[in-house]
Amino acid sequence: MHAESFFFCCCLWKCVCVRRRSTVASLLRRRCANCFDCPCCMHTLSTRATNIPAPLADDPTKTTMKKAYYLACGFCRWTSRDVGMADKSVASGGWQEPENPHAQRISKLIEYYQQLAHREKQERDRKKMARRRQCMPLAFSQHTIHVVEKYGLGTRLQRQRPGAPISALAGLSLKEGEDQKEITIEPAQALDEVEPLPEDCYTRPISLPEVTTLRQRLLQPDFQPAGASQLHPRHKHLLMKRSLRCRKCEHNLSKPEFNPTSIKFKIQLVAVSYIPEVRIMSIPNLRHTKESQVLLTLTNPVENVTHVTLAACEEEDPDDVNSTAKVLVPSKELVLAGKDAAAEYDELAEPQDFQDDPDIVAFRKSNKIGFFIKVIPQKEDDSDVTVTFRMRHDFRNLTAPVRPSEDGGDAAPEAIWLTHHVELRLGPLAP
Amino acid sequence: MPIFDGLGSGGEKTAIVIDLGAAYTKCGFAGETGPRFIIPSEIRKPGQQQATKVVQYNINTEELYAILKEFIHILYFRHLLVNPRDRRVVIIESILCPSHFRETLTKVFFKQFEVPSVLFAPSHLMAIMTLGINSALVMDCGYTETLVLPIYECTPILPAWEALPLGGKAIHKELDGFLVEQCSVDTDTTTGQSVPAVIGAIPEETVEDIKVRTCFVSDLQRGLQIQEAKFNLEGTAERPAPPPDVDYPLDGEKILHVKGSIRDSVMEILFEQDNEEKSVASMILDALVKCPIDTRKVLSENLVVIGGTAMLPGFLHRLLAEIRLLVEKPKYSDVLASKNFRIHSPPAKPSCTAWLGGAIFGALQDILGSRSVSRDHYNQTGRIPDWCCLSSPPPESFYEAGKTPPPLMKRAYSMEK
Repeated sequence: MHAESFFFCCCLWKCVCVRRRSTVASLLRRRCANCFDCPCCMHTLSTRATNIPAPLADDPTKTTMKKAYYLACGFCRWTSRDVGMADKSVASGGWQEPENPHAQRISKLIEYYQQLAHREKQERDRKKMARRRQCMPLAFSQHTIHVVEKYGLGTRLQRQRPGAPISALAGLSLKEGEDQKEITIEPAQALDEVEPLPEDCYTRPISLPEVTTLRQRLLQPDFQPAGASQLHPRHKHLLMKRSLRCRKCEHNLSKPEFNPTSIKFKIQLVAVSYIPEVRIMSIPNLRHTKESQVLLTLTNPVENVTHVTLAACEEEDPDDVNSTAKVLVPSKELVLAGKDAAAEYDELAEPQDFQDDPDIVAFRKSNKIGFFIKVIPQKEDDSDVTVTFRMRHDFRNLTAPVRPSEDGGDAAPEAIWLTHHVELRLGPLAP
Repeated sequence: MPIFDGLGSGGEKTAIVIDLGAAYTKCGFAGETGPRFIIPSEIRKPGQQQATKVVQYNINTEELYAILKEFIHILYFRHLLVNPRDRRVVIIESILCPSHFRETLTKVFFKQFEVPSVLFAPSHLMAIMTLGINSALVMDCGYTETLVLPIYECTPILPAWEALPLGGKAIHKELDGFLVEQCSVDTDTTTGQSVPAVIGAIPEETVEDIKVRTCFVSDLQRGLQIQEAKFNLEGTAERPAPPPDVDYPLDGEKILHVKGSIRDSVMEILFEQDNEEKSVASMILDALVKCPIDTRKVLSENLVVIGGTAMLPGFLHRLLAEIRLLVEKPKYSDVLASKNFRIHSPPAKPSCTAWLGGAIFGALQDILGSRSVSRDHYNQTGRIPDWCCLSSPPPESFYEAGKTPPPLMKRAYSMEK
């Protein structure tokens, strides 16, 4: 499955397809830029406006009503004023999520380790280059010892195989004077003392609504505040629309639409549009062990002529579980005309001559024929009479790309014969 | 959140970092300051009320595979919203994780989701990456157990590991026992009912919530007094005055009266010494004793505590105090010369520190690829290398078997000046 497009379920802002690397911040964060979640109950917050008196820019003595916006939850009545967030003067885009206080330290650490990693990569590349020189004498020469000493890392680095217990980036501490621009990092200082619990912890009664639950805390992993007055809202998380691909042939089965307001059904290879449809037209009174004729219709969904052969199920057919009647199907091949979309408008179209056997084919109408099968119910109980048979028809895959044949012309797609198991429930026996 | 977190240096997409804990899973992207999501490590099967825990070590492979598949699917397509095929994966694991679990997890990632590569990173080692130091004595207080592992110059001193099953799970069990025995529930019609009569068993989520919101770890003096009062058979020792009771609302109109005496005493199980005189604090000293002599000074002055259970209010202070008390005992004072203990505070909450270390490592795109197990390598060997398994051959000799001589003899002559 591909995670290709994101559905902004909160505001239907857009349903964006992220195929290329997108630099839109909200998409990288997978969060909506406009909408927020209530930190208490996780519903979507709505922006509310109030009028507050504010001094005019020109004349501080006069006051005018200005709009101030704040966030509020319609479900649990939380508002952004509860955590001390000031009202903003713009309806959207004013609220920022609080930044992690350690962000700078962490980025410095990353820079430092990236430098060490870069050195390790250089060592690795150097090693690879050296290995390729196979013509070198294999004997352990004096020079090897110098080489090993120079790098100072020796065989331990060579043994860095993936998955082995990681020894982090140990031996790669920067050598003196080897790099002009060294990034050093201050190692963290350990503390002698830790802050103890406040004294009133043992005596102060706690009010549970002011203490955050574990769920609320975990919604903000960077801060995990214990007090409800520090719960800040976060941007709303997006949902994702998934496009499905067949594992074997990589054919796209379902693909999300860019704009949620214009959704078209895109699946093309639907079985219904390729397999001839069998329908029951009329059923006479069915009597136990008496042969009756049932009228079925066969409709051709494709545009070319289709040939259908019916056959009774074999004795040991594993699909044949439910049949309660014997069935005699016509043994001759039935030919179905192609579906012609313009047929109903074109009355002067020549009816195609198919030479139908009137015992088998009852009628023919454009791409549909009616035919008879003989049914002999075998069981006398109250359950429905079920007949099964096998239908074999030819199928041409017109959606597959047509390879140009060797003689230059376009070859028609090869016909593939498919066999299906058909089961029909004809209703109860006549009383 | 950094804006350009989709663009890594070098053009590769940022890796995914997952810390699959027994209680909670922290997942997010490499290079960020914190995990994007912390979700409980469980899945809900349709039709079942009870959630199934993901990290289980005693079930057979097929069930585990199905559970892990479902869980990782939720991680990718509900929370992270990325294509699994594009991004490398860094998994933070405990070194005591059973091989069977690891292998099943790898199989899910490679066979089901077809990720490009997987790296298993030990949590203790990753924790020190957040500090910029090379040696530390790391203690991970998690859900199932507390595990101590010293790291010296970026190498774990594996023989000195210490573990005790004193974690969130043990606390929950103890708290549940106290609540059922000692507390009463008020419903809208009656008062003072016993807990089993009204609601049967308390769900673990509720117990956890009560623990997080109302309980704390008393300081050393108080804690010792509470312990004395508990074990005292004559009844002469008195416990200090308990903190006030709390009315905890259960669902509906029921209110659970949590007695104050539970609030400060339930955490004592972490520090009570059992018959073998082991507690969370003594583990640190025991690990120090097992370490080589010349490492002990550095290690004792660089303690790092990670894990969710370490976030309990008052825990760190009590831990330091207990260590300082215990080190005076003859068992330790004869062996340990330095009695100087100092503790670090990593730039992240203790529950996310190991994750952060993994995120820092995952941001090193130059070497992440070469240190990970790639999908091709896994498809060829069918196994993931494990520290405890001696039969994993190094990949160099695997690919070019018979052509190159052993590594030591390889580089005989170098043109480098």
